[in-house]
Amino acid sequence: MRKIAHTLFLVLVLFTATGMAETAGTILIKNGTIIPVKGAPIENGDLLIKNGKISKMGRNIQAPSGTQVIEASGKYVYPGLVAVMTAVGVTGYPGAGNDTDEVGISTPHMDPYDAINPEDDCIEVTRLGGITTVQTISGMQSVINGKSVILHLEGSLAEQMVAKRYVAQIINMGAKEENKYPSTQPGVVSFLRAKLEQAQEYAKKQKENAEKSKKDRNDEKDKKSFANRDLEMEAFVPVVEGKIPVIFITNDEVTIRNSLEIIKDYKLKGIIRASSGILKYADRIAKENIPIIWAGTTSIPRRWQSHDQNYHTAAVLAEKGILFAFDPGEWGPGNRNVRNLPTPAAISVAHGLSEKKALEAMTINPARILGIDDEVGSLEVGKIANMSIWTGSPIQGRSRAETVIIKGKIIPMTSFQTRLYEKYKKIVYERMKKNK
Amino acid sequence: MSRRLTVMLTALLFVVTYVWTQDLALKGGTILTITDGTIENGTLVIQEGKITNLGKNIKIPKGIKVIDVIGKFVMPGIIDSHSHIALTDINEATDPVTPQIWMWEALEPGSDSIRKTLAGGVTTVKTMHGSANVIGGVNVTIKLKYDRPVEELIIPGVRQQLKMALGENPKRLYGQKGRSPSTRMGNAYVARKAFIEAQEYKAKWDKYEKDKAPGKKDLNPPKKDLKMETLKMVLEKKLSIDCHTYRAEEIVWIINFCKEFDIDLLQISHCIDGYKVADIMADAGVFYGGWVDSWGFKEEAYDGCPYGLQILYDAGAKIVINSDSPVVGRYLFREAAKVQKYTCIPEDEALKMITLNAAESLELDDRIGSLEVGKDGDIAVFNKHPLDTTTKCLITIIEGKIFFDYAQENATFKGGSQ
Repeated sequence: MRKIAHTLFLVLVLFTATGMAETAGTILIKNGTIIPVKGAPIENGDLLIKNGKISKMGRNIQAPSGTQVIEASGKYVYPGLVAVMTAVGVTGYPGAGNDTDEVGISTPHMDPYDAINPEDDCIEVTRLGGITTVQTISGMQSVINGKSVILHLEGSLAEQMVAKRYVAQIINMGAKEENKYPSTQPGVVSFLRAKLEQAQEYAKKQKENAEKSKKDRNDEKDKKSFANRDLEMEAFVPVVEGKIPVIFITNDEVTIRNSLEIIKDYKLKGIIRASSGILKYADRIAKENIPIIWAGTTSIPRRWQSHDQNYHTAAVLAEKGILFAFDPGEWGPGNRNVRNLPTPAAISVAHGLSEKKALEAMTINPARILGIDDEVGSLEVGKIANMSIWTGSPIQGRSRAETVIIKGKIIPMTSFQTRLYEKYKKIVYERMKKNK
Repeated sequence: MSRRLTVMLTALLFVVTYVWTQDLALKGGTILTITDGTIENGTLVIQEGKITNLGKNIKIPKGIKVIDVIGKFVMPGIIDSHSHIALTDINEATDPVTPQIWMWEALEPGSDSIRKTLAGGVTTVKTMHGSANVIGGVNVTIKLKYDRPVEELIIPGVRQQLKMALGENPKRLYGQKGRSPSTRMGNAYVARKAFIEAQEYKAKWDKYEKDKAPGKKDLNPPKKDLKMETLKMVLEKKLSIDCHTYRAEEIVWIINFCKEFDIDLLQISHCIDGYKVADIMADAGVFYGGWVDSWGFKEEAYDGCPYGLQILYDAGAKIVINSDSPVVGRYLFREAAKVQKYTCIPEDEALKMITLNAAESLELDDRIGSLEVGKDGDIAVFNKHPLDTTTKCLITIIEGKIFFDYAQENATFKGGSQ
């Protein structure tokens, strides 16, 4: 009897498990307005998803047998939004300690992959907002912070979620130390330059050692010296070799200027994340083709600046032809509201940015900046099936994502917040009935 | 040259004075009255600071300045019932009980935060003591009359609110100093002890006033205590309470506490768990004064749930959306729009959360919060519907005077100030 009960329980568990982790089947979205971001909108359009990828897009697509059909008339199909510079997956529970910002001024080897928690509540909450892909960083409090990863917000294991491991290194030009070196802006610059020189040196030695050991595979001594590894420097080598982009976190025109100088001097693949003072350097940035992560839309302008200085900045960046993405805002485990990524976009549209450009800055632009635009950021045949069906433009605060699809899987529209809502709706309404 | 400058300055001064004292008519806009629907192609007249007429075919009094708002949206000035702007100091974080603190004494009318907030269509804010102390200071409700004398900002006759704070902030702050309160029990004790003392203090003074009446000469008055003076005012209902509270059990606790001491609790600020006890809040008639979708920025804020506004609404609790932030205070209308993302609450009701409900939470709904004849001429003009998130505020008017004009102040104006 006990055995039967146990078996029944197991069957139940398995059933629930398969029910939850729905395998990527064939899905046809019908009669929606498809906004592919790249290319013209398709009115009354259909979109076929097969094996987790977009397989067809157009009008009157026939559904193969066994296809799940989603009727989307009156609705809009947008690519999944892409949020950069988030802590999704590593936010942890407040009070339990965060898995971000490891101690140390230089921690380029910190990899958020090692801390990704697929059960992080922030994952469900974020994807209900139509955000399907995020860049998760390991911290931003130090000068040299660590690696960052790309996650698709679906999967029960970290390796299922991670799309790209080392996508960019994070450097914070404003991260001064207190009462120890580097405690000033010139100190930060020189600290960083020294590390870059050291990494160049290390890269050179690495190459020499590799060649030597190729020449003489039996030389035990050389092998030993090569085994003398420095993990900090190893993480920095692809940066100085220009293989991995570096995101320079800046907070004013001084830190922007110094970032530009370092990018130039060390021929880095630089990206600037700015929250203020960017317009002064807009022409140079346009000329030097440096992508921008614009995090300052909602920042309060300085006393002498107009109230809409930052509201208006994205419009200027677009006008100058600068490749930019919106940052969902104040970073950190304390800010779990990545779902508000459309807020800076809406404000920027109110102040001169076109809706098209605003949408690009939440989809294809961040994908381009992080080198994942061959997979996500727009609706194109062959790309990963990350998309949402919306009641209106994502830029509108009142619009809702009604269906979210990630890697071809239809996501349950639930989060711990919807569960809290269901729970307390019942409790409150029952109490009200009783007290009547 | 200098004479020409003087002449120009005099002319400018004349124009400024003229504009300053002028009555206004806003003509041809879509008027969102909040209490009486929407008037398309309507006109609104403000005279001597008050709304004197509004409707479709209104006769505009002669000689009045007319602003063309065709195609624009006219709504009551936005009200932020939880703000900390325009203050030189916020937290007297030296003692868990500081009711002797009056925030108007930190009020800075020339603060740039007022200018920046005006640009978001906000005309009235309650600017508050921080949340360091269980019993903080007395907040001050002001009109955002940038750079005018303090007396012009503070709304006369309004009952101000004493700030209280429960939960993590006081217990963390004093706990770290090795002092009480370091727990929620400690918070409760500190509040109770203070109000029991205040009851005793009030009894002493009441007795003195009573005994004094028949004309006794050698009667010594009790010793004055400024902390107790404020709490006595709360007991006498000359002041009310706004309590910073996150968790459900604390919301219930403060409601019961205020009943116990027979004091008026008007608003529960932040109120993250409010939806869990929505019916209890509705019965107590206390305002939810919080955000739409904030959550998780600390332990006690973890359960923030935007869908919960629906439960509060259905239970009949009164909802106010406020900013608690100089950043969000500049676009409260965008926060109100998000109410409709997460709930089925109708448009008018969402707008009330930043206007009429907020006015009611400040006991000012007879003066502000909607567009009605007799109310203050506090207006925000938007280029699109205020719940369209791509809208922007064009003009902010307080009592008939223009305090923000987008045409005169924007980043592209004369090349901006980059």
